[in-house]
Amino acid sequence: MISIDTLTVRFGGIRALDGLDAQLTAPICGLIGPNGAGKTTLVNVLSGFVRPYSGAVALNGVALSGLSPRRRVGLGLRRTFQQELVVDELTAVENVQAIADHVSATRQSGRREVTVALDFVGLGERRDVLGRQLNLYERRMVEIAKTLIGRPKVILMDEPGAGLNESETDRLRRLLAEIPQAFDTQLVLIDHDAELIASVCIDTLVLDFGKRLALGPTRAVLDDPAVRRAYLGRE
Amino acid sequence: MTEISGKTEAFVAAAPVTEITLATRAIAVVAVVGLISGIIAATCGGYWLSNFTQAYCMVLTLLGCALLYGQLGLVSLCQWALVGVGGWVSLRVYHSFHPPFVFTVLAGGLGASVIGMIWGLPALRMRGLYLALVTLMLASAFQTLVVVTSFPVGGPGFLGQVGASGNARVMMARPAFAASDTAYFVFVALITLLGIFLVEAHRRTKPGRAWALIRKDEHMAIAAGVRVVFYKAWAFAVAGFLAGVAGALMAGLFGQLDASAFAPTDSIIVFIGTLLGGYDSWLGSLLGGILTRFVPALLIDFNVNTYLGFMFFGLALLMALRDPLGIGGRLTLLAVRLWVKYEGRRRG
Ligand SMILES: Nc1ncnc2c1ncn2[C@@H]1O[C@H](COP(=O)(O)OP(=O)(O)OP(=O)(O)O)[C@@H](O)[C@H]1O
Ligand SMILES: [Mg+2]
Repeated sequence: MISIDTLTVRFGGIRALDGLDAQLTAPICGLIGPNGAGKTTLVNVLSGFVRPYSGAVALNGVALSGLSPRRRVGLGLRRTFQQELVVDELTAVENVQAIADHVSATRQSGRREVTVALDFVGLGERRDVLGRQLNLYERRMVEIAKTLIGRPKVILMDEPGAGLNESETDRLRRLLAEIPQAFDTQLVLIDHDAELIASVCIDTLVLDFGKRLALGPTRAVLDDPAVRRAYLGRE
Repeated sequence: MTEISGKTEAFVAAAPVTEITLATRAIAVVAVVGLISGIIAATCGGYWLSNFTQAYCMVLTLLGCALLYGQLGLVSLCQWALVGVGGWVSLRVYHSFHPPFVFTVLAGGLGASVIGMIWGLPALRMRGLYLALVTLMLASAFQTLVVVTSFPVGGPGFLGQVGASGNARVMMARPAFAASDTAYFVFVALITLLGIFLVEAHRRTKPGRAWALIRKDEHMAIAAGVRVVFYKAWAFAVAGFLAGVAGALMAGLFGQLDASAFAPTDSIIVFIGTLLGGYDSWLGSLLGGILTRFVPALLIDFNVNTYLGFMFFGLALLMALRDPLGIGGRLTLLAVRLWVKYEGRRRG
């Protein structure tokens, strides 16, 4: 569970997040909002890369404020980045093993977790292929596999479906829906694809100008007139 | 990381790299180093043998320099000064304790490794040109210091100078098992082989993977739980260790060291040699190291003006800038292609 308590983040004169209050409790939560709404900033605050101006965040009741990004990884927080960051010179399995090196309990359990994660995302057969030879979908899958290592408690995914075509998005959707059960973890999903959000997220938080516009069951939130006006209406 | 993006493009062609097993690679290393060293040991003596022994010390230094540049994109222009540091420490330890030679060498390596880590601290904040300039200034500072204090020659006190005390200069003795020039060269070749294995082992395991993440994106590495500061420092420690070992081996070769052999320009030449040979393969460091020593020695042998030596390095730099793979990378690519073709034909 993620608790956000009157969180404000300022970049110069901009308030990227503005007194945000929210409790994310569902196993899969959507995080949506127009460009510049503060979605990535929220992920950066949770993962410890951006220091808030005021307010606090907590993970399963543990206050995160003041902890280094690495400590948060140790507490089970995982994230992906808006752009994919697969290393070209490492194979798929090495890219994932590079995470296990630092977050798995033992070397053995690490290797097991890497195999499980690669099989889960469907890259079992492609494990020894160099990063540069993987296509965009496979690279996105490597990025997801990386977050599944070391018993994650919360995974924050920043637009994991960006750039994928329809059938790939379909596969992604089925995969994401299985993650909380299969890995006993909570998933927070940022995406601009309302359909993807609607089909996998139980609850959804909508941001606009760093403020909470709506939070609740995804269908209800997406049907909320205020959300339609601020967000969907602009599309 | 703009400095090494060119390499990525060039390596796209080298597709089947992963098909070659570790054992095959290890055998290739032993075979190539063994062959080159065998030819040198069998045919050279005196001037040339001494030069090739020094060339192998250069190879060890290049291995570290290439590690820093290839794995982390860090330009260090103080690696030859670290050879001096290693030489200084090994001479100091030798004259104080007369330990077995291997310990003297290890002491030089560890000493330069610690100093290398300290000199690498600026890299936590800066990279590219700024880091290059700072490390170059460190190399100059070392030269100034060592010109004033000189290397220990068995005299009293911490600095170990003879001067006023009237003591005789004491040479560092080579180990009994490598007393002759040829035996010493073979010994240095074996250490070089170990150095290559040390670097390759790093590149292919946990540290290499951590460096790859850092090179790709430091924030991503942090979010992956990598201790970025530790792994950067570790790279400098390994590079410094290799340079320090080279310094101790130089001290063993000559019995003493001269301050004039550790100018900042030599550290620049180490970097040029690294680019010329190629920073992504052990073969690059091997060939780059031998060439940067061999060509100037050849020019001296032919009584050619030493400024031509600088022109050689200028040309080498131009070549290196044109081809980020370097000579070693090109040859590795060629060898891999031939091997894959051969294997393909053998299996039908
Ligand atoms: N490091 C930064 N420095 C200055 N301003 C920033 C920084 N990061 C984000 N911002 C600003 O904060 C606001 C929120 O940005 P953020 O990246 O969180 O939006 P987002 O919801 O992720 O948008 P998108 O959908 O485009 O990814 C924007 O106005 C952005 O320009
Ligand atoms: Mg964003």
